[in-house]
Amino acid sequence: MAPLPTIKIISKRELNVFIDNLIQKSKSEVIGVKAKGERYVFAPLTDASELCLNYDVTILPPKKYFLPQYEPLMNYDLKKPFKVEKNLQDFSRILIGVHPYDIIALEQSDKVYLDPQKDDFYDQRRKNTIIIGADIQKVSKRSFAASMNTHITDSGFDLLLTNIGSHYAITIGSEKGKKLLEKYASTKIATEDDRKKIEKTRESIVSNYKKKVKVEKEQWSSTLVANYDHALWEEKSDRCLGCSSCTMVCPTCYCYDIKDDVTFSLKDGTRIRTWDGCLLHDFTKISSGEVFRDDIRDRYRHRFYRKGNYLPARYDFVACVGCGRCGIACLPDIADPCDVLNELSHLDYTDGTHKFFIEQKKKPTAVQGTIHLPRSATIQQVKRLTESEIYLQIELDDKKPLGHSPGQFVEISLFGIGEAPISISSAPGTSPLFELVVRKVGNVTSKLFTMKKGDKVGIRGPFGNGFTIKDFENKHLLFVLGGLGLPPMRSLINYILDKKNRQHFKDVTILYGCKQPCQVLFLDEIKKWQKMENVVCKLTVDQCEKNECWAGEVGLITTLFPEIKIDKSTIQDTMAIVIGPPIMYKFVIKCLQTLGVPDTNIFVSLERRMKCGVGKCGHCQINGVYVCREGPVFKYNDIKNLPEAFE
Amino acid sequence: MSKPRVAFFDFSSCEGCQLQIANLEEEILDLISLVDVVSFREVMKEHSDEYDIAFVEGSIMRPIDERRLRKIRKHAKIVVALGACATIGGINKIRNQWPVENVKKEVYGSEHLEDNDYFDVFPTKALNEVVPVDFYIHGCPINYDEFKHVVTSLALGKKPDIPTYPVCVECKKNENICLFELGKFCLGPITRAGCKAICPTNGSPCDGCRGILKKPNTDCVQDILDRYHLTYEEMKSRCVLYNYSKEECK
Repeated sequence: MAPLPTIKIISKRELNVFIDNLIQKSKSEVIGVKAKGERYVFAPLTDASELCLNYDVTILPPKKYFLPQYEPLMNYDLKKPFKVEKNLQDFSRILIGVHPYDIIALEQSDKVYLDPQKDDFYDQRRKNTIIIGADIQKVSKRSFAASMNTHITDSGFDLLLTNIGSHYAITIGSEKGKKLLEKYASTKIATEDDRKKIEKTRESIVSNYKKKVKVEKEQWSSTLVANYDHALWEEKSDRCLGCSSCTMVCPTCYCYDIKDDVTFSLKDGTRIRTWDGCLLHDFTKISSGEVFRDDIRDRYRHRFYRKGNYLPARYDFVACVGCGRCGIACLPDIADPCDVLNELSHLDYTDGTHKFFIEQKKKPTAVQGTIHLPRSATIQQVKRLTESEIYLQIELDDKKPLGHSPGQFVEISLFGIGEAPISISSAPGTSPLFELVVRKVGNVTSKLFTMKKGDKVGIRGPFGNGFTIKDFENKHLLFVLGGLGLPPMRSLINYILDKKNRQHFKDVTILYGCKQPCQVLFLDEIKKWQKMENVVCKLTVDQCEKNECWAGEVGLITTLFPEIKIDKSTIQDTMAIVIGPPIMYKFVIKCLQTLGVPDTNIFVSLERRMKCGVGKCGHCQINGVYVCREGPVFKYNDIKNLPEAFE
Repeated sequence: MSKPRVAFFDFSSCEGCQLQIANLEEEILDLISLVDVVSFREVMKEHSDEYDIAFVEGSIMRPIDERRLRKIRKHAKIVVALGACATIGGINKIRNQWPVENVKKEVYGSEHLEDNDYFDVFPTKALNEVVPVDFYIHGCPINYDEFKHVVTSLALGKKPDIPTYPVCVECKKNENICLFELGKFCLGPITRAGCKAICPTNGSPCDGCRGILKKPNTDCVQDILDRYHLTYEEMKSRCVLYNYSKEECK
């Protein structure tokens, strides 16, 4: 058994002296719970009398002090080639009156933000903040923390205040807390009687909770798995405003967006992180205009699955602490997880067949240093490939190789504009040079079109999981590539077709489709491939103007399938690699299955909105899978049962 | 690269949005370092018809307005609608509730105004009901941080980032007490954000001056009115102020 915590006793008058000492002498910014009209907020204290410890719930959770609403990540100078500074400021802060459920929510955020890819902004705030918790004295009418067992906590605080009538008890949770108390407060040691009073106070609060969840915390996940297709999601979301107020006020919601803001003089700018919400329509929108969770039902449902299934499976906690803030904030009152779970608890259900995860075999590549700060790089070559695509050769200024595998991506960063995820199209190697093919669709890619040799860009990554060449050795290979699907595969194909390596692979078939002849990429290389032995390479375009010169087929990529001959006996030995626009997968996979290619032999690379690259910002999620971490390359068999993968 | 040439124009409006820009004070020097202002009635005497970007304030009320706007559109590479009157018709659309003849009679009495172009009015239109508009700077008045954002974005060659989410997002970030909780009907949940929720933050319900979101879900309106003991009339009067023609608001 863990040793009993040290507990001190302080009179209410002395507590005020302690708080005032902190405000006046500690050199830390002192934040506490204060009244705002009929409600409460965490705000800077100027006097101990402002502190309310008998509050019910604050409008926003204390997450605003660790992941602020608007957080400058870095400042840059637009007039200098690559002058950027991390905006980490030293400070020290004391947070007073944090309720146990909010403390537990912070411990959850720690798992996301500190492990395995540390967010140094969050880390610094956590390290520099002392948390003085407070046991709940007044229960918020929407809270169901007692059902979640988050109304009490024995960790996550430096000090914890409990009102035991005439005095406050102070439980010491850390060395930092102990020192603070020794320096600024006069306390007595708690007696056995005081300890009993604390226990009693904590026990008695349970009966003040009117709201109770009928589904045990441990059962949330299975209840949700069984009800993914339930009519409730549609019924409730019919009344959803899609305003994401529920996620804004949530202590465990941490998704964010990043924007660039430049001064009016265009001299300097700031990259800012701000809260985003998965209920907002454009949360999953990518530059080409695709929205992956377009239906409000899907967005509404996603939030509950994140809380009750996706995050529990990944981090081992239910990402709801029962504070009830979402229930207060939601105008049509449909956001409260307690209500939704209780409704689901009444229902008879059959076991769901959906899978929301993949077996994670590969670990994401660890990013060195700060996860937000791009590395300086220089454009070494720009080639116009088509009307809308350019080829860029880029060199990292530290002259180190990128260290990627085929199928991985980088975030290319232009200060003042933003970042865009781009697949790497060159073969892995020891050179600091690497290649990207960029299609003009959004702000970053349009700007790249105007750039020239010698211009500076920022690079983060490589991110994600790419292809493993071993998977393809001694196999027949069938590549099915649509549009921009070719560039990321070009490196792999060239590697395979290289004389040195060719013996390790069997027949290679390449099917490549584009919208129009003018969009065909790397035609010279394709022509070389077509002339090689044991290589079949067929091209098609969706449409061809009469005056255009085109030797390939006309029609969708699926029209090429009848033309290829694959021996039935070799089909088990054939690996299919499919990369293209989201719309393409459904049809191509059907063709592959008709051919008899087993699902375990099909590889896909999926496109989603990838913003952070390290599984934090939340945009690229397909059910419980982070495309930026577990993907973008997947075995079809692993993700075919993810409901959101090929919708 | 030569600086883009910028001109400001106004139609039916209070010209308060241009005043917001004039209010940039010393920052106006930053503006003129980025662009050449060739026409801006509120701050300069000179005028030129040679411009790349036209910032247009005000609503279109008359055939002569329409002709003038088309001419502006022809001259400009980029047309930016400036403020609620231009972006959504705004307050000027209140009069669309009544037939034009009645409105005229109410304002001008029995004056003989036939054959006078100045008084030849039709129901109020926003700019995009007459010509294509490239970018919108919403609000009544505009928020000059957003104006700066649009100008710097155009100067950097990127598309301005105008929020597509509701005011609630910004209001929540400001940690305001929801005005519904205080018994006030607020249009924040269905109004385009970007104003940093300035009205709710100062205790005044959102009037929807930045326009209603693309596909607002109004199926829950009755639930909300019931939950917060608000009346339909209260809601409607708030909707009419800036968004008279919007079906969703009826």
